[in-house]
Amino acid sequence: MIRQGKLLEVQNVHKSYGKKSNLTKALNGVSFDILPGEFLGIMGPSGSGKTTLLNCIATIMKPTSGRVLLNGKNISAFDSKDLAEYRGRRIGYLFQDFELLDNLTGRENILLPVSIHGMELAKARAKLQELADFLEIADILDKFPSQMSGGQKQRVAAARCLISDPDIVLADEPTGALDTRSARTLMNKLDGINRSSGRTILMVSHDPNAASFCSRILFIQDGVIFHELRRRQEESRELFYDRILQVLAQLGGGSANVL
Amino acid sequence: MFSRLVLRNARRSRNENLIYFATLITAVASFYIILSLGKQDVIFFLREFESHAIDNLLTEMRVVYAFALFLLFFLILFANRYQLNRRSKEFGLYLMLGMRKERLVVQLLAEGLVTSVLALAGGLLIGGFLAEIISLAVSKWVGQGIIGHRFSLSASAMFFTVIGFLFIQFLALAMLGGKLFQQEVYQLLNEQMDKKTDVGHVKGNVLHIAAGCLLLGGAYWIALRHLADFAGLLVFAAVALGSMGTLLMMRGAAKLLGLLAVLSERNATKGLRTFTLRQFQENIANRSTSVAVTSILIALSMMLIANGASTLLSAGSHLYNRDASLYDFTVNGAHPEAEKFLTSAAMAPYVEDLNLLEVGRMKAASQEEGALVSFVDWSKLREQLIMALPDKDREQWLSGEMQGYTISLENPEALNLLGILELDARTPYLIPESSYNGLLEAIGRPPLSLHADEMALYFNPDFVPMDNLDRMPVLDRILEQAANEGQRLISIHGQAIDLRPSVPRRGLVADRSVEIYSAFIVPDSMFEQFVNKETYMSYWNFRIPQKLQEQQGLMQPMMEARDILQSAGFRFESYLQNFGRKLFYVVAGSYTVLYLGFLFLIMACTVLALQFLTQMKQTRKRYLTLTMLGAKREQMKKSMRRQVLWTFLLPLSLACVSGAVGIKTMASYVMNHIENKALLYPVACAFACMVVGIMAIYGAAVARTADREIEQLRWKPDPDIE
Repeated sequence: MIRQGKLLEVQNVHKSYGKKSNLTKALNGVSFDILPGEFLGIMGPSGSGKTTLLNCIATIMKPTSGRVLLNGKNISAFDSKDLAEYRGRRIGYLFQDFELLDNLTGRENILLPVSIHGMELAKARAKLQELADFLEIADILDKFPSQMSGGQKQRVAAARCLISDPDIVLADEPTGALDTRSARTLMNKLDGINRSSGRTILMVSHDPNAASFCSRILFIQDGVIFHELRRRQEESRELFYDRILQVLAQLGGGSANVL
Repeated sequence: MFSRLVLRNARRSRNENLIYFATLITAVASFYIILSLGKQDVIFFLREFESHAIDNLLTEMRVVYAFALFLLFFLILFANRYQLNRRSKEFGLYLMLGMRKERLVVQLLAEGLVTSVLALAGGLLIGGFLAEIISLAVSKWVGQGIIGHRFSLSASAMFFTVIGFLFIQFLALAMLGGKLFQQEVYQLLNEQMDKKTDVGHVKGNVLHIAAGCLLLGGAYWIALRHLADFAGLLVFAAVALGSMGTLLMMRGAAKLLGLLAVLSERNATKGLRTFTLRQFQENIANRSTSVAVTSILIALSMMLIANGASTLLSAGSHLYNRDASLYDFTVNGAHPEAEKFLTSAAMAPYVEDLNLLEVGRMKAASQEEGALVSFVDWSKLREQLIMALPDKDREQWLSGEMQGYTISLENPEALNLLGILELDARTPYLIPESSYNGLLEAIGRPPLSLHADEMALYFNPDFVPMDNLDRMPVLDRILEQAANEGQRLISIHGQAIDLRPSVPRRGLVADRSVEIYSAFIVPDSMFEQFVNKETYMSYWNFRIPQKLQEQQGLMQPMMEARDILQSAGFRFESYLQNFGRKLFYVVAGSYTVLYLGFLFLIMACTVLALQFLTQMKQTRKRYLTLTMLGAKREQMKKSMRRQVLWTFLLPLSLACVSGAVGIKTMASYVMNHIENKALLYPVACAFACMVVGIMAIYGAAVARTADREIEQLRWKPDPDIE
């Protein structure tokens, strides 16, 4: 299933905000790779730099120093035309608060990236149907976001981020605005997409429950990676969840950490 | 600290929202222009002749001012609401930081005051400048050197402008402020001042479009065909139907756009078309009423501007057309003092071509059973005139179908003459040959030298349209033919009379003291014999000497002569009155109309512009999402420009149709006074195009502002990270 070669390489990325006297270092030399077909989670407390990291990969921000390579190409040096091409086509972005356009129907929202980048109608239609069936949103395609539940909205957003066959899906707290049941459904779907079609996913999350679906988790604190967890072959999600909780306890609330 | 915050916020409002500030300035300028009308050169000039009418006009202008105040109140309310919405988050923050609501009100009003003072300064400057330009342009264009220009600044206009503007500005702010504080802080922080758009349930459907079409069609039909029915009351029906129709059309248009978006799936994969369509639909759907109102305003403004402009532009030729008007002064009565005075040393320098005009109606031969028996038998002439009618008119005339007719330039000459003679020929007006010879001499023509059995037909060019003052082609042909064949077409008291063809015709008096359509010019002896002494009237006519005119222009000596005559206590009239009256019609007919036209246009444009930018602001996040999905800036700009285009085009296109119908209707019912009909449509079209041009400028300004918004889009995932 897992192909060889690195899909994404993050090399010694630094990111700081503000001027000299008031410098905040959000990322302080982060390096890791993602292999094709991986489901990578990034966890860390508020202010640890995980969202900054995701934004650097999503080209929303430029790293102060260091490189981000996608399929060997340095995307942190892209100009705006290449960036537009990269966004939406090479990466799919799943937002915490869905970011559906509320004046477009579900179908129109899903087709938006396709129309921005241009794709054959027949191909787009087939792809849409396939995704709608898999994500169980076929019957709400012609509804407007205001007429959908939160879970439905996020699944429509997921369809939108998958329709242009991106190399990697970047998910920023995708379950953050969902209730437990919807969150579980969504994670099951993402997991299914990852397993069945080998889609690479990079997800930032607070939620150990959501993170337990990942195959590997990086823990970030104060701008550096300080721990990594891999889900063992045949390890159940419950066991992996317990291990995540242990790390989190050390990270934030563990008694060893009390100052 | 407080004052610095106020000043800084006010400055930021101006910089960030130029359209808001421009709206305020426009309001101020328009108030000043309307209020300073009394100081315009033309009005000063007219006051001397038509002071009563001018007072009425200025009173009317006060009503127009009140109306403008009322209209602009809504515009300012709208502009302020837009401005406050932009800042709702900031207000929420102030409240979060513990600012008391009362203090926030005071701060808002103080900011309003600073902005208002600057808007007043700018607006008064621009208004004063525009008023001056208008005054100068009108006095040059219409007054053609007769009316002098003087620089004027109206203190009272400034005063009332300031009062009126501050009043509506603070009323609007107070209303909006009150509303602001009913909001929860949460709502303010989340910028949810406006109701979230609910696109799922678009009100209206395709039936609305059908009903709208039907109502509009009805309105157009009434306007074009039946406006004059029921004493013109149908105008209101046409306006009501038209407005209702426009409203329904716009409501239906939103739904139609939704259908279009669904149906055009093929477009779904081509650029941002679906997004563009949906944005546009949302803009129309949620504000169909105000879009309809702007459409109506644009249509009205087209009609008003076209009407006012053609009145003003045709004024030049209309006012200075002195072809037929010969005399500058007419003094009533033939009493010897008049002649003595007019030849006296004081008056002599102003008098040339002094001539006594005598006129009176012919006696009736006898009265039989209450009906007059006339001396005149013109049946042969009548026959010839009927023969000379075009076929269609002749049939109608002979069959008695033609019941009434108006004398107009469009009628064939023979029909006009028949109509006039039917009314006048039984007891016609008589003018002695000697009186008319004096007139002919003044224009350098030989005297008539009528034989004892000869006369000439006089038609008054002031009332009877004629292309050529020296010839009436149809009449002259009939008369020449009769002379050749030795036929006599008219007889008086049994005596056959020759009719002299090709008599030059001019106005008989300086203005209107003699209102006759036609007369018989007869030898003096015949005048004595047949004139009805009870109807006899006489006038002294004279002109300002040519030399004096060349030295001082016409108006200067005319005013001087007028003053002398006035002080001597004579009853007289002058060409000035004629001119002044015509000028008054022009001014009264064009000023208000043009003013309201431009006011409507500016309102419509501002509403459309602010509405679009409000939506742009509210849906800013959507553009950010598009960026995330990989849309290029150029793609978004293209979509946005298309939205601007459609936003302006939709109300405009309907307005163009309504405006065209309106202009056509006005051309046939309202603009009758405009003689040069051939020029009317090009002028109207040119000004309708100008309306479109002004809208295009507004559209371009909106697109530029929106362009900048898109340029400034930056994805900020966390508000605390800049």
